[in-house]
Amino acid sequence: MFELFKNLGTWLTSGSQWAGSDGIAHRLGEHLQYSLLATLIAAAIGLPLGLLIGHTGKGAFVAINLASFGRALPTVGLVVLVFLAGGLSMLPVYVALVALAVPAIVTNTYAGMTAVDPDVKDAARGQGMRGHQVLFQVELPLALPLIMTGLRLALIQVVATATIAAYVSFGGLGRYVFDGLAQRDLVQVLGGAVLVAVVAVVLDLLLSTLQRFLFLPHARTDSRGGTPTRTA
Amino acid sequence: MNRRTLLGGLFAAASVPALAACSGGITSLNESSGSTAGGGSSKGGITIGTANFTENQVLGYLYAAVLQQAGVKVKVRPNLGTREIVIPALKAGDIDLLPEYQGALLNYLAPKDASAEPGTMQNALTLALPAGLQVLPYGQAADSDCFVVTRATAQKYGLTSLADLAKQNGRLVIGAAPEVKKRRVGAVGLQEVYGVQFKEFKSLDSDGPLVKGALKKGDVDVANLFTTDTDIAADDWVVLSDPKNLIPSQHIVPLIADRKADDTVRKALARLGNVLTTEQLTQLNSQVDNDKKDPEDVAAAYAKQHGLA
Amino acid sequence: MTIDWSWIGDHTDDLTSLTLSHLQAAMTAVFFGLLISLPLAVVAHRVRPLRGFLLGLSNVLFTIPSIAIFVLLLPVSGLTRTTTVIGLTVYTLVVLLRNTVEGLDSVPAKTKEAAKAMGTRPLRTLLTVELPLALPVIMAGVRIATVMSISLVSVATYIGDGGLGQLFTDGFQRDFPTPVIVGVVLTILLAVVADALLVALQYVLTPWRRRRA
Repeated sequence: MFELFKNLGTWLTSGSQWAGSDGIAHRLGEHLQYSLLATLIAAAIGLPLGLLIGHTGKGAFVAINLASFGRALPTVGLVVLVFLAGGLSMLPVYVALVALAVPAIVTNTYAGMTAVDPDVKDAARGQGMRGHQVLFQVELPLALPLIMTGLRLALIQVVATATIAAYVSFGGLGRYVFDGLAQRDLVQVLGGAVLVAVVAVVLDLLLSTLQRFLFLPHARTDSRGGTPTRTA
Repeated sequence: MNRRTLLGGLFAAASVPALAACSGGITSLNESSGSTAGGGSSKGGITIGTANFTENQVLGYLYAAVLQQAGVKVKVRPNLGTREIVIPALKAGDIDLLPEYQGALLNYLAPKDASAEPGTMQNALTLALPAGLQVLPYGQAADSDCFVVTRATAQKYGLTSLADLAKQNGRLVIGAAPEVKKRRVGAVGLQEVYGVQFKEFKSLDSDGPLVKGALKKGDVDVANLFTTDTDIAADDWVVLSDPKNLIPSQHIVPLIADRKADDTVRKALARLGNVLTTEQLTQLNSQVDNDKKDPEDVAAAYAKQHGLA
Repeated sequence: MTIDWSWIGDHTDDLTSLTLSHLQAAMTAVFFGLLISLPLAVVAHRVRPLRGFLLGLSNVLFTIPSIAIFVLLLPVSGLTRTTTVIGLTVYTLVVLLRNTVEGLDSVPAKTKEAAKAMGTRPLRTLLTVELPLALPVIMAGVRIATVMSISLVSVATYIGDGGLGQLFTDGFQRDFPTPVIVGVVLTILLAVVADALLVALQYVLTPWRRRRA
């Protein structure tokens, strides 16, 4: 075990390991690209959906149940299925990552919306605010901490799961994990795993810092956020 | 398919390491007198492992069919991974028997040792194998690694042999399974023997949909495939010749743990080795890959048809 | 993409054994996850300084790709079911630990004081007062951990296990969608049924909550 970690140090610090198309720098860039794009797409789908359900109170049962279905979706199976249906492209990877991220975003956004005090909403309406004004000026700001928790949760899950891109020939840090498995090169596997974990933790810290600066009045991160889950 | 039952699984979860250690201990006690001849016993049943490509699974199920006929209890664990993963599992006792390939196995054990003649290679294998493992007589069927290009690529760059690849150094992309990057019959040997340097090594799969798809699409110029793949002829791909004999002869050879190698197993597998030809194996692979039949069914039907089961 | 229905008919035995093997891996992991996280949660609940450390550690473990965990376990437990179960257990910990701590936190201080005043010993209070009251939150964790594990088992197909996950690699290698579709559907069904059973179990275990609903 000690030997493994000693070799990990050498692996992580050697200059040649960082350079080139199979270098850490390039793989890191790919991994960030996959993760951020997938999370953005998921946010573009999940946020409006969560807001709508929370605002209108309609479809909550269906959405929450679909979200728990989503948690059961096996990522490996989904990637293979989309690959067999549509051929080799990044599409299978993005479909799987988005499918993983959307439930976390929808459920947390919805939870944030329902946590808004009904009296506050009534007061806003009483002052003559319209539906969309109530949504954007009252509910959304109050729900933001939980929404952010959902986004952070989704991002962490996506970063860890983007490893799967390497299974269908693409790059990212998963390359080291899958190549290391095929070559039984555990140092490479550990290196890839540590880098993925570091990316996840750093991105999470960045988002929580951002959250603190942007939304000072509601700065406390909400611990009632959904539980993280993993499907790969 | 895995036929493990719930109970079997529960049992396995609780006791696999203990069982492996225990059975190893008992056999080495009982058989301490017997060296290579005779050796172990297949009475407790044999677990056959297979690597992560079609042909190896077909071979695993062929072994299973003939061993079952010989009265040995077998369990097949398909698709375990690469040689680099499977052989340590064999040493550790997670599996007992593995369909292997002479040259590739020898290269794994002692790189550079792979001579071309199957008889010589068998001796070299016996010497190179770690204690506790042995190879049984090799069969007549063989399957080699090969490097192929599309007809168009061959014409464009004037490629007929592996030596021609060096003239295009830094220009061509090779696609192969990740382990091939570090293997002698792969990026390492191509560089050493032929001085080939690729522009990029793309990690794909072992003669599977990724590497063949990438070759068709033009994502890679050179692909590492197996000679027993009917797609090579069907797609009119060009197999690059190997004038410097980098790629050794690859007769199929059973690799088995000493503790399980008895005469029953030896005889059954030798019979299969004598009957199965390269052409037949190629056809069996195609039935699985192209006709989507189960390797298990294909193997069982073959064994029955040839009076092996 | 078409489904080869006859393949399904021909493979009911295989599918049954794969499903059972899949379920067994997931349930064993949740069982060991509970076994480990219950005492850890009690410690985290009582010893404040350890709380952040334990929850933080389980969060970091959670960011490691599951395939990597399985591969890194190979020198320890090889290509066995044990490797699958250890790997899955790691991921159940983050959910179970967090929920159990939150469950224990949710028990009102007054309730605990009342138990103390009645002369109940601490261990007895934990077992007969705190844990039962924390049960709904703990069970919510168990449900999530179960569904997650059922989904995750298939990753172990890369190390030759993985229950229904074997259908994914098989279909992938042969460019054959039927096993993959069947595998995905069965995995989801398994998760839904397991979740429903846990809801029923919770109903049985917490009779005092029924009147409220």
